[in-house]
Amino acid sequence: MIEDLESLVKGRVDEYLILVSDSRELMIKLANGEVSTTQSWRDYEVSIYLAKSGRIAAASYTTHDPRDAIRKTVSMIERLEESPLYAELPEPSGREKSRVDPRLKEAALQGDAAWVLEELELDAYPTAAGMISIAYTTRRLVGSNGADLSQEATSFNGYMRIFKGKSSGQWAWTSTVYDKVKATRAIGQAASLAEECSKLPHEDVEPGTHRVLLGPMIAANLLQLAASAANAGSIILGFSFLQNRGLDSRVGSEAVTILEKPLDDTMPLFTGFDDEGVETRDKVIFDKGVFKTVLHNTKTAKIMGDVTTGNAGWVLPRTFNLEVAPGGLREDEMLEALGDGIYATNNWYTRFQNYLEGTFSTVTRDALFIVRRGRPVACSSRARLASSMPSLLGSIEDLSRSQYDIQWWEVEEPVRTPYVLVSSMKVSRGASVGAR
Amino acid sequence: MIDETLLYRAIDEAARLGASYAEARYHSLREFNFSLLNGRVIGGAYSDSTGISVRVYAGGGQGFASTSTISWESLLDAVKRAISAARTSATSRRSPARLAPARLGRARYSVVEKKPLDSVGEDAKITTVREALDGVEMKRGDMEVESHTVAYRESVEEKVIVNTDGAFVASRVPRVEVFYNLTGKHGALRANRWRELGGSGGLEVLDGMRLTDTIQDDVDSLHVNLVKARNMEGSQRLDVVLSPEIVGLSVHESAGHPSEADRVLGREAAQAGLSYRTEMGEGERIGSEHVTIIDDPTIPGSMGFYLYDDEGVAARPRVLIDKGILRELLHNRETAASFGVESNAASRALDYRSEPIVRMANTYMAPGDYSLDELLEDIKDGVYIKKYMEWNIDDKRWIARYVGLEAYRIRGGRIEEPLKNVVLEINTRDYYSKIDAVGKDLSFEAGSCGKGEPMQPLPVWMGGPHVRLRSVEVKGI
Repeated sequence: MIEDLESLVKGRVDEYLILVSDSRELMIKLANGEVSTTQSWRDYEVSIYLAKSGRIAAASYTTHDPRDAIRKTVSMIERLEESPLYAELPEPSGREKSRVDPRLKEAALQGDAAWVLEELELDAYPTAAGMISIAYTTRRLVGSNGADLSQEATSFNGYMRIFKGKSSGQWAWTSTVYDKVKATRAIGQAASLAEECSKLPHEDVEPGTHRVLLGPMIAANLLQLAASAANAGSIILGFSFLQNRGLDSRVGSEAVTILEKPLDDTMPLFTGFDDEGVETRDKVIFDKGVFKTVLHNTKTAKIMGDVTTGNAGWVLPRTFNLEVAPGGLREDEMLEALGDGIYATNNWYTRFQNYLEGTFSTVTRDALFIVRRGRPVACSSRARLASSMPSLLGSIEDLSRSQYDIQWWEVEEPVRTPYVLVSSMKVSRGASVGAR
Repeated sequence: MIDETLLYRAIDEAARLGASYAEARYHSLREFNFSLLNGRVIGGAYSDSTGISVRVYAGGGQGFASTSTISWESLLDAVKRAISAARTSATSRRSPARLAPARLGRARYSVVEKKPLDSVGEDAKITTVREALDGVEMKRGDMEVESHTVAYRESVEEKVIVNTDGAFVASRVPRVEVFYNLTGKHGALRANRWRELGGSGGLEVLDGMRLTDTIQDDVDSLHVNLVKARNMEGSQRLDVVLSPEIVGLSVHESAGHPSEADRVLGREAAQAGLSYRTEMGEGERIGSEHVTIIDDPTIPGSMGFYLYDDEGVAARPRVLIDKGILRELLHNRETAASFGVESNAASRALDYRSEPIVRMANTYMAPGDYSLDELLEDIKDGVYIKKYMEWNIDDKRWIARYVGLEAYRIRGGRIEEPLKNVVLEINTRDYYSKIDAVGKDLSFEAGSCGKGEPMQPLPVWMGGPHVRLRSVEVKGI
């Protein structure tokens, strides 16, 4: 099939890449302790990149027959103009790297996920809401640069929100193999947060500036956004607080190290080659608070006078797995280190007021603990945390030794992160209807 | 389009395999897009997402499957996978999933392109957008737009929906959208303005955007924010006038989303969240008598336009809040069954691989009869927030925040000096209760509404007139 598609573009454009992805995925969604729906996908997706005389076209097709759309794109490219982002395709240096869990592959191919419900013993959680996903994907990249690279992978990820009265907790997990321990631990974490919050008296957090302990769910969301600012596409398009900060400049405290790890095959976005066929490599984005790497494909590298970091995206770079390096605290020391402050376990709706300054606010959801002298003393209604990325990164005091693999609605790419202790964040709140 | 007999064979086969209800949806989204960076074309392409979904209720559970391969073998496989998925769902059901009766359609309809999308070539479309940009003064005094990106997207969405309850609906909806981001710079200060414009129809939608004027107005807003505006000190309780842009966003966030019945029932609890309407029933007052909020899929030219939803139910306007009183929720047939009402046709899916769930279409606050001058005239000391740059709301849709990109002090009924980054944080009841006058100048903004797992960003309009709120807290950052 891919050879048929190549014949549509070969000789008609100067350069091309074709990426074919064949995936089977099962997703079970739960609400109120019941399965609300089970979804089964069988997708065949073709993505193409074409270049001719410096003009570029890139598109995706999830259709049984993409040939017409490809022909139209080939014809249309003549009517475009030389792109400021054009760069010659690189030599393909990528390596094939696969990881397949046979049990997940079989489940995805057979469309059978009922066993997962039984194994995770979700019957024990009559208020659970969430999602469990199993996927098996093969990818093949071919190109005029000589690339011919394949990958086969499985994934197992999900999240659960569990309610106890008006309290709730939520946790997520992600993996490339079926990991019952990781999943049940995440579900247990959600349940214990709800339980703990329900036992504490209600008290609303006071507006003002607080010390804050960020649980792994919220840490993953905020630090993924911080790392995305190192994407050259964000910098060029004006969506990055790093736009005017040079490499080797300090952007955070000594405690902050964030890595991008495409070679880590324990997390679902692992790959040995990027979308241009370039070898991927693990790299440090922020090293002890110092900005070390802009993530590039060949196009953004050319514009910014750099070299590709193996992070293509065809037009703009992309980010693979992220890891926030662990700190020095045991989990049971985190609250003590927090002292007086708040412990936020989850958030959503992070919005930037100003991408270039990095100013944002985010809204907590689920358990929000008020902590005094290292002990949770109350659970609060939802609140809003406001800061800027430079301020957040600069005020990270320490992190936990333990890390969690998080991927969910508000964390699109997998992030391995510890708990994060922040010395200062602005907190505000409005009157709520009383639910926590 | 599709051989419709394939879809009927699919639902017949699903019924034979034990489905109490089956629906098949052919869903095609074909797009052409291009992007410009600082006026230069980055690239462009045609894309295509076409396939068939099968959704069934079997054994008391719901199952969904899709395929992008359009053949009987593949469709039969999807039917079997959907049945299997439904049986997986059924294992944990305490009571079987049910569907409410509904007024189902047998119809074909299409949105007319007054100026057909294919009436001019791609290069002419690029030229139109670039000429519009060329007309914009990107420098205003000491402030300049240091970079700008513009993306153009036209799409044609075609669907054929059949189900075992007798629905047949074939539709064709073309849309045109433009997205842009402006990065303004004044000395060391920088700010963004992001905007989405769009509607259903042909190239007349692009003409109606008046791109040069629209973008120029946003450049001017950046100039106001970066150069002229001064911080507001502390927090103050003042009268506030909000523009249609902010009213549209707010009714989408704090009236539309919480009125989604699946959210009220907890079905989206782990994703898009909950709703205050779980605790507040129909008939309860949430706002002043001036507040009426409607969601209407049938507005011609709108982004969220449809005449039948993705379960084949005939669409109509839904009154969510009527003169300050909570009224109907947005329903699909499953949530309607839970509430003992009829579906009001709010079931929508992004594409063939998306399950239809309860969604908004075009949500707006009904206009009143005040001009902007009349809203302002008796405000002794207040704030006018014209454009926003940041917003968010908690997952129950109760505590919202809007930060002004362009805002002004009002003194003696007149708009005076610009204010920088004014923050309005307010709960939903206060927001709707404090409105004491509503303008007559209804307008709409285009948007992509996010919900679902996997995420289904859907085209919507959000609208409203200017409104006046009495005595609310506003603050500087």
